[in-house]
Amino acid sequence: MNETTTRLAALAAGLMLAGSVCAQDVRSPSALANTCAGCHGTNGASAGDLMPIIGGMDKTYLQNTLMEFKSGARDSTIMGRIAKGYSDLELKAIASYMAAQPWVSASTKADAKLAEEGKDIHEKECETCHEDGGRDQQHKAPRIAGQWPAYTLLYLQECREKGRRCAHPKMGARVMKLSDEQLQAMAQYYVSQK
Amino acid sequence: MTNISRRTFLQTASACAAVAALGSVGRRALARSKGRVIVVGGGYGGTIAAKYLKMADADKDVLLIEKDSPFVSCPMSNEVLSGERDMKSLSFDYRALSQRRGIHIAQDEVVRIDPEKRFVKGSSGKVYRYDKLVVAPGVDFRYEKIEGYSPAVAERIPHAWKAGPQTTLLRSQLEGMRDGGVCCIVAPPNPFRCPPGPYERAAQIAMYFKHHKPKSKVLILDAKDSFSKQGLFMQAYKKFYGDMVEWVSGASGGIIEAVRPDAMTLVGQVDEFKGDVINIIPPQKAGRIAHLAGLTDKSGWCPVDQATFESTIHKDVYVIGDSCIAGAMPKSGYAANSQGKVAAAAIAAAMSGRAAPATSYVNTCYSIAGPDWGFSVAGVYELKDGKIQSVPGAGGLSPIDASAHTRAVEAEYARSWFRNITEDMFS
Repeated sequence: MNETTTRLAALAAGLMLAGSVCAQDVRSPSALANTCAGCHGTNGASAGDLMPIIGGMDKTYLQNTLMEFKSGARDSTIMGRIAKGYSDLELKAIASYMAAQPWVSASTKADAKLAEEGKDIHEKECETCHEDGGRDQQHKAPRIAGQWPAYTLLYLQECREKGRRCAHPKMGARVMKLSDEQLQAMAQYYVSQK
Repeated sequence: MTNISRRTFLQTASACAAVAALGSVGRRALARSKGRVIVVGGGYGGTIAAKYLKMADADKDVLLIEKDSPFVSCPMSNEVLSGERDMKSLSFDYRALSQRRGIHIAQDEVVRIDPEKRFVKGSSGKVYRYDKLVVAPGVDFRYEKIEGYSPAVAERIPHAWKAGPQTTLLRSQLEGMRDGGVCCIVAPPNPFRCPPGPYERAAQIAMYFKHHKPKSKVLILDAKDSFSKQGLFMQAYKKFYGDMVEWVSGASGGIIEAVRPDAMTLVGQVDEFKGDVINIIPPQKAGRIAHLAGLTDKSGWCPVDQATFESTIHKDVYVIGDSCIAGAMPKSGYAANSQGKVAAAAIAAAMSGRAAPATSYVNTCYSIAGPDWGFSVAGVYELKDGKIQSVPGAGGLSPIDASAHTRAVEAEYARSWFRNITEDMFS
């Protein structure tokens, strides 16, 4: 295959791919995902508090989470109602779009003392799955470093409440043993890890 | 792939001719012939249309014309009435949109649109030319529907339905009111800006009364027989405020026909109501410039192609937010945000000679009815037969039997929602 043919083939392949968006009723990933920004911030870089940063998070994790919201397997206040408005493929497209955005860590300073305490708990209880101080992105252990502490805390509290019924039973069992202050400390530790 | 023939290639190419413009060659060629987009109104819809146009194409010339600065948010302004929030936390400036996004900002009030010659004129006398125009002027009031009410009377008997000095005025009147007094809220007929707003307002005022003027009352005089999130509000009124909040439906005499400002009296169809503080939220119509520009129909709102928000009356003019007729979507901040993105994508496509992309619309709206007591309504919409319609099975209200924990979390979500939607607008 000479160079011109290669280029022509690549261009044609590109056009064929693009061809799939020609159909009027197929909604583009950006059109779908931009509707999330009103709550989760532009490109999923949340501006705070209880809304988690989702831009730059692991794709499979986001996809599974949206599917669980839709089926009701994962508890939510509002996400279940919203996720039901999309096909499985659309949820996948939203997850892919958000995963492709840069991760922007929370713009807040951690409480140094609590973060230090949280570091010990992290190293003992969490690092085996949430590697690299929680920076690692895996589909069963998404990035938690740099996440808004109010969100991390709420997630941990709800997980503690469920104990072994938490989405990840092993995590539930570990979180169950922790006090309010220890959960606070973990939330502060993770936001200190930009 | 190696056998791809020139003929196959050409067929593929022509089948998707419009998409060719997406290619890098096409993009470069178009950069030389970029037109100008003007956005009139820098609120929940206008800022988003301007910003997302720039995000789609940083080279595009985008001018945002807004008469007021700073912007003061209506959503969350009910919290000023209870004393939970100050005006400063509702105020935002356009600096980041100008400096970070490269949007030109002009402080001016557009008083004329010429859709034929494609220019707008400001009250400053300046003329601004456009290729595409976005009109996002919010709402205007039908003062004439309540005899005796007028912009001048509103300086004494506020509507407080555009956040700003009117919000501050209403708050100071509540602070000055005697314990044992009555605050009347006149709620408008549909459609109007922020359907749950008057009822959240009643709750926020009651929250203030409960702590500072416990013998006082909030009386909602409604033009309607039902309202948004009704069950959830009635439950919260009862739980937190007992008999302090009373709602009078239109059918039971809540329709207000006139006001006598000097007697602080509202004239209903049957009874008269005296208030120590009166808040009249008048019937509404599209923002003033939409009427001046002939963008409205008999309903007083602006008909648009619901796939793009282009006016069905004037070509190249797009109306978004409270002013437009948007099928099943309510007149809310989140709806305007969603519509701004759809219009931006449609305009970007039209200016590059592409077909408008398929659309997606969402609404999310929180209300805070008590301390640590919030609830929401959500909507996911799709375009069907040319109309924006709710996706069956999606959206809806917070459950009526939710736990106190859930209500507390939703109250916090309301505040986080505000942080994020304003960040989406102003960063």
